[in-house]
Amino acid sequence: MAHMDAFKIFIVEDDVFYGEMLRHYLALNPDNEVHLFKTGEECLKNLYRAPAMISLDYSLPDMSGLDVMRQIKKEHTDIPVVIVSGQEDISTAVALLREGAYDYFVKDDDVKERLWNVLKKIRENVQLRSEISYLKEEIGRKYEFRNVIKGNSPSIKQIFGLIEKSIKTNISVSITGETGTGKELVAKAIHYNSKRAKKPFVAINVSAVPRDLIESEMFGHEKGAFTGAVTRKIGKFEQASGGTIFLDEIGEMDMNMQAKLLRVIQERELTRVGGNELINIDVRLIVATNRNLADEVQKGNFREDLYYRLLGLPIELPPLRYRGNDIILLAKYFVDEFCKENKMKKLSITESAQQKLMGYHFPGNVRELRAIIELAAVLTDTDQIDESHISFNSADAAGNLLMEESSLAEYTRKIISYYLQKYNNNVLLVAKKLEIGKSTIYRMIKEKQI
Amino acid sequence: MAQSEHVNYSLEKLIGFVGDDPEAIKNMVNLFLNTTPSLLNAIIASFQEGSPEILAKSAHTLKPTLDVFGIRDTYDLIRNIEQKAKRSELDEAMDKQIKQLTHTLELVFQELKLDFNLP
Repeated sequence: MAHMDAFKIFIVEDDVFYGEMLRHYLALNPDNEVHLFKTGEECLKNLYRAPAMISLDYSLPDMSGLDVMRQIKKEHTDIPVVIVSGQEDISTAVALLREGAYDYFVKDDDVKERLWNVLKKIRENVQLRSEISYLKEEIGRKYEFRNVIKGNSPSIKQIFGLIEKSIKTNISVSITGETGTGKELVAKAIHYNSKRAKKPFVAINVSAVPRDLIESEMFGHEKGAFTGAVTRKIGKFEQASGGTIFLDEIGEMDMNMQAKLLRVIQERELTRVGGNELINIDVRLIVATNRNLADEVQKGNFREDLYYRLLGLPIELPPLRYRGNDIILLAKYFVDEFCKENKMKKLSITESAQQKLMGYHFPGNVRELRAIIELAAVLTDTDQIDESHISFNSADAAGNLLMEESSLAEYTRKIISYYLQKYNNNVLLVAKKLEIGKSTIYRMIKEKQI
Repeated sequence: MAQSEHVNYSLEKLIGFVGDDPEAIKNMVNLFLNTTPSLLNAIIASFQEGSPEILAKSAHTLKPTLDVFGIRDTYDLIRNIEQKAKRSELDEAMDKQIKQLTHTLELVFQELKLDFNLP
């Protein structure tokens, strides 16, 4: 839970009686810590005590309330300043509100209720801000990269080293890896452990956004920019201001959009679709793809200049099948997490189940392992997961072929069956693909081997 | 002390601010008795010296306090004095208003001292 400190209130009031009365009134709430100052100077000297709110008289002996407020706002834009004044002049009130006063009260019969209400509102805002700050810290802790990316294998330790390097600087990062290797997790770990952690992390999956909407999604649009643009929309780049933008599946971006992205990255400014205003952007860029971008450049599908702009620090995530014992380490972690989340008793993974996992090639990588383990945890009726609970439903049947040791004849049968299924039982085509005689296949069908 | 017993002032607003706590009320009354005379003196002196700025400032400061003590008729009086001082109209009419204010406040001071047993 977020901890709420005493709610510090400054009253700046040169009228000794009125100031003391306000102090007494506000201190009736034991959660308030009220400090009374008679001059603007005294208030400014004490700003280091970080008040949550300042009640400021407009007419002070040493300086005007407006000057005091300007000084406060110079360094502490977020402290709400409420003007409580005998001035009934509306133009004074309007001028102060324009300069950033939170509210303006005349010292009349309503001041008590209005002050109480405004305090209530400010307290709620402070509470919300405190909760947001706490949650941001929690997210930071959650994404502490050694909590996110588990493993002891040399290949994953190398990744830890690269993440540590990327955290210390603002360099762009390009993450590659097969599906399910944890590219977005790595991007979040970099963001939430970097100096930008308190600013937004905004992710956009390029392949998931229709081609004609991607520019508006990334850079925003002005009202009326196109049919359906009924209001102004702030794009992902602006949303990520001061933070990190994560462009997933960057390899899917079309050439036209690549040119626009390159310009934004180079100029560090953008224009919303249908707008003229140049908007400065300050975002860290992390991109990810499961394609080989260098190959895409060779094929002419990806701009070379953009490729070099985005490359930055390349992090290539290893497939799970190359991470050796990490498979077991992750499996144990996932089963523990699953049991905890579902308030189940702790489960262990038998030696035979571990061997079965180690023999699999995990085309879906860590994501697939997690799904397999969670299903196994549900299927078991004991406190153990054994090999019978581990089932691989990968669509990559060819990859599964070598999982179990078999005779050559059995492998042959499985391969031909697989190809027949793949090519709609077209025997001639399968024979051609496998470079075997069609009679071999017909014979196996006749003998009901397949 | 019943509200109706007071002739020249009302504690209703003050209680609204500090609560129905006799000690807190007495402290605030004491503070009022200690600070208001000097403000009143500043009003009188600045009128006599022809200093409308100080007069306006002192009247402005005193205005909300008089309101809190519900001192009958003085709120409009002090408001008039402030407005006129801002216009530098330090005339005979203002002299009368200041004298009226002084008289009323002296009655209030006496009554408060009596009611709260203060020296």
